[in-house]
Amino acid sequence: MRSETKNLFKGLGFISPWLIGFSAFTLLPISLSLYYSFCNYPLIQKPVFVGLANYRGLMHDSIFWTANYNTFIYAILALPAGLFIALALALFLNVRIRGQAIYRTLIFLPSLIPAVASAMLWLWLFNSKLGLVNFVLRGLGMKDPPGWLTDVRWALPSLVIISFWGVGNTVIIFLAGLQDVPSELFEAADLDGASKLQTLRHVTLPSISPVIFFNLIMGIIGTLQVFVLPFIMTQGGPGRATYLYTEYMYDNAFGYLKMGYCSAMAWLQLLVVLALTGIAFWSSRRWVHYQDR
Amino acid sequence: MKAIKWSFILLIVVATAGLLAFGPRANESLPKDRVVIDYWEKWTGNEEAQMRVIVDDFNNTVGAQKGIYVRYVSSSTINQKTLVATAGGVPPDIAGLFDVNLVQFASMGALEPLEDMARERGITASYYKPVYWNGCNYNGHLWALISTPTVVALHYNTRIFHENAAALRAAGLDPDRAPQTIDELDAYARVLTTREPGGRVIRAGFLPMEPNWYVNYTCYWFGGSFWDAQTRRFTLTSPPVVKSYEWIQSYASWLGKDAMSDFRNGVGNFDSPQNAFLAGTVAMEMQGPFLANFIYNRKPSMSTVLWTKDVEMKKSPAERLRNYEWAVAPFPTAVPGLKDVAYCGFDVLAIPRDSKHKKEAFEFIAYVNRQDVMEKLNKLHCKNSPLAKVSDDFLNNHPNPYIRVFERLARSPHAQTVPQIPIMPEVVDDLNSLSQRVSLLQITPQQGLAELQVRLQAQYDEFARQQRARGSTAY
Amino acid sequence: MPLTRQIERRVIVAPDEAPIARLDVIAHGATSGRRTRPSFKLFTHFVLISTCLLAVVPFAWMVSTSLKTAENSILYPPQILPKPVVPRNYWDVISGEKTSFLLWTRNSTIVALLTVAGTTLSSAVVAYGFAKIPFRGRGALFGIMLATMMIPFPVTMVPLFSIFRWLGSVTGIAWLGTFKPLWVPAWFGSAFSIFLLRQFFMTIPKELSEAARIDGCGEIGILFLVVLPLARPALAVVALFSFMAVWNDFLAPLVYLQRPEQFTLALGLQNFQSQMGGTPWHLLMAASVLVILPVIGLFFLAQKTFIAGITTTGIKG
Repeated sequence: MRSETKNLFKGLGFISPWLIGFSAFTLLPISLSLYYSFCNYPLIQKPVFVGLANYRGLMHDSIFWTANYNTFIYAILALPAGLFIALALALFLNVRIRGQAIYRTLIFLPSLIPAVASAMLWLWLFNSKLGLVNFVLRGLGMKDPPGWLTDVRWALPSLVIISFWGVGNTVIIFLAGLQDVPSELFEAADLDGASKLQTLRHVTLPSISPVIFFNLIMGIIGTLQVFVLPFIMTQGGPGRATYLYTEYMYDNAFGYLKMGYCSAMAWLQLLVVLALTGIAFWSSRRWVHYQDR
Repeated sequence: MKAIKWSFILLIVVATAGLLAFGPRANESLPKDRVVIDYWEKWTGNEEAQMRVIVDDFNNTVGAQKGIYVRYVSSSTINQKTLVATAGGVPPDIAGLFDVNLVQFASMGALEPLEDMARERGITASYYKPVYWNGCNYNGHLWALISTPTVVALHYNTRIFHENAAALRAAGLDPDRAPQTIDELDAYARVLTTREPGGRVIRAGFLPMEPNWYVNYTCYWFGGSFWDAQTRRFTLTSPPVVKSYEWIQSYASWLGKDAMSDFRNGVGNFDSPQNAFLAGTVAMEMQGPFLANFIYNRKPSMSTVLWTKDVEMKKSPAERLRNYEWAVAPFPTAVPGLKDVAYCGFDVLAIPRDSKHKKEAFEFIAYVNRQDVMEKLNKLHCKNSPLAKVSDDFLNNHPNPYIRVFERLARSPHAQTVPQIPIMPEVVDDLNSLSQRVSLLQITPQQGLAELQVRLQAQYDEFARQQRARGSTAY
Repeated sequence: MPLTRQIERRVIVAPDEAPIARLDVIAHGATSGRRTRPSFKLFTHFVLISTCLLAVVPFAWMVSTSLKTAENSILYPPQILPKPVVPRNYWDVISGEKTSFLLWTRNSTIVALLTVAGTTLSSAVVAYGFAKIPFRGRGALFGIMLATMMIPFPVTMVPLFSIFRWLGSVTGIAWLGTFKPLWVPAWFGSAFSIFLLRQFFMTIPKELSEAARIDGCGEIGILFLVVLPLARPALAVVALFSFMAVWNDFLAPLVYLQRPEQFTLALGLQNFQSQMGGTPWHLLMAASVLVILPVIGLFFLAQKTFIAGITTTGIKG
């Protein structure tokens, strides 16, 4: 046998677990999902083809648009600010001071904890009568602190705040990227007499732009799929203020047994994620500088 | 340092191994010689304990005779879990469903029709009170039998009424009886509401959203409903429904929505002394007969004014009332001449279609529906009885001294259950969201109801079309 | 340039990088290499201390509440330090009649062990194929595998449910209502782990595999006798991260597990909260602490591995 063919068999053999798993647990479900999105499928009964009925139904569904709006607002509030906070923290954590390791550990810890536990903790912290947050706010002189999770205006921002608490993961990635920047660049900037701000803008940020790009992609995918915290903490309330896309999908699938409808929603989400990621990739040409080695 | 680390790791490994080898397992201590029936139920806490008494009774008597063992499993999201498990082909043998889920399950073919097995036991329409029998029947079949029913009425705190007798009389209201119309209710509520100088509500005379369990059915007391079963259309924009939501919103308006949400934030959970009615922060509320149990458990002083319970139970039904600083009356209506309107909820026992032990499962359901067992269960749960015949012992020795009021309401021609809409869970979610938004003054009732009318009618029509396409008549 | 190629170029760095070896740098921290003014250092301390307080105070509050009595836990103004201290709360949570904490922990442990074993083993095998065996279409398949990391779970959760039900009816072995849907897919490799391991394997010099081949080893022999022993740090990262993913997973158990006796810890904690009716905060916080403990403990035991894993994904991603 030619060595090329031999290698082909060997290679496919080694990656066969993934090939099988991919076909069975990814490719097949995605195709089925597409098919179901064109069907009426109450799960207990067999799917029946209905063409575009689900998609048309979604377009006229006020709750679908509410969920979209909420998810969009959440993403706008959480993603840019989250990245900014993470980057800022990473920059501070990169300064050579004593206790660096401790600071890094402490800031990283919240991102480790399971979402369920985080939900319970923040339910308690944000309790508007008894919670620590309002206790501190009242202590600082605020007479009428927000109702947080029970207040229509503050429920979604509460979730955004919790997402900032768990930003440690992103911080560490930024930190690693910062430490990857060759010191020659900084020395050169120093020699040129650049100020801190100028160094930041012209040396640091461009050098870590691949890391920013990575965190941006991860962030887009992550914020569009937020489910556990609102599901446990507010169940989408009050008055659907925290009703996000994934929860509506879940309710449709396992609450109302509208699997076809849910699949249509899932595919729309997939297309949006792909589109946004595609845009990010395309725009990355402009602002992401890889250190070609 | 390394030594500490490695000893930690060793400890974890040993603990894990111990947990795996000797830890609790799922299927412990089931009798091997009997058919095991999985019974999934929503109740927790005391209500779970009370149902377990009945389950144990069955296992020790009929179950022992017929070789059946009922295993009670408690789960809070029971309707969803049962639905998904049934859809997944791994259902329980008996599902303890909510009333709002019954028609959804039935219309999707998830349940086993029970009318034949029931008829064999003499359980037919005449065995039940009509409102409950009709609630369990849909599209020509009997889909479940009741475990515990409920019926709601106005509960009012007589102590607060008497403490404010002068103020009530000054407003032309009688402190010795309950309000008899919605307008009267509003008047009582205004007098009995107290506030701090800054505007925060200390005690609310009444709050439509406290509790918010029955808010969706408020339209019944306004003489209408949001569903017309004949035309199969939603009637969300009909005047009674609109008026009912305007009434709900009126409380947010005159109390101030921030004051109201602030107040509601401080209200404790239902099963705690911070329950608004128990804590006295609300003077009147719409609730079912089981409230008596919670009052006695969490704030016994309200139910033992003169005597302890055992002394009280020896008194006559009329005498017993003196031991209570709360009372029950039919919830008032907004329509002159319309009386004894009540929403009747119920918990059912149903058999999923793919259950493997249907006959044995029905044995348990039939047992629960025996008059003596049903009365025992509902005395424990402090609820009324769904059966047509009710024994004197039930009426006289019931923990709730106002049980006759509830029984009368359950037989009223104006007693109604949840509308039989297959997409009811979706309707419930939408209505809950609407009542929240209305009482937060976010939207006017007309606007909100108009939106829902369009959306829900479209969802229902689509559902009906699909059912017809499958050749089903269940829609 | 075809898309997979682009992804590969952008997402993957040239193979002569040794990702895990960088971890020393991270742990001890190189900096921007310039002298920083003392006032700026002070400012930095201030910022970081405030941030750390914000990060840590919630934990402290959780522990504090978990050690209070029921009445003290709902006092307002809140009692900062519990008095009396009630460690019994933890015992109540574990042994309480209404909860099945130990059962849930056991369930989570079983699923976690099966998943971690499966992920590590299968991903190593697959990564070896992608890294060490040149074959046609390898790049394209690798690109496809990377792309699957972007697919949200909800897209596949409904059809997977159907597939598992069909499997159950066709093979007679139940899938739904068991743990199988949670851990069996792990035995077919996880994209993230495969990616990580493949990057690492590519740093292992060809000479070593050549030497083994001359000694008569087949590919499998090379994998198990040469490559894997060298890849221990990377395998540790994979094991750690897959454990974290399983331990924290909520949506998949929510969808696939119906019986309360099968709940994993994540699902059990939520069930605990809703079962309790009157939200006993002291017990709920104690339960939450118990759920967090394994993860925090693991972090402190394996700090370096954690950081290495995260930074590798980030830098090379």
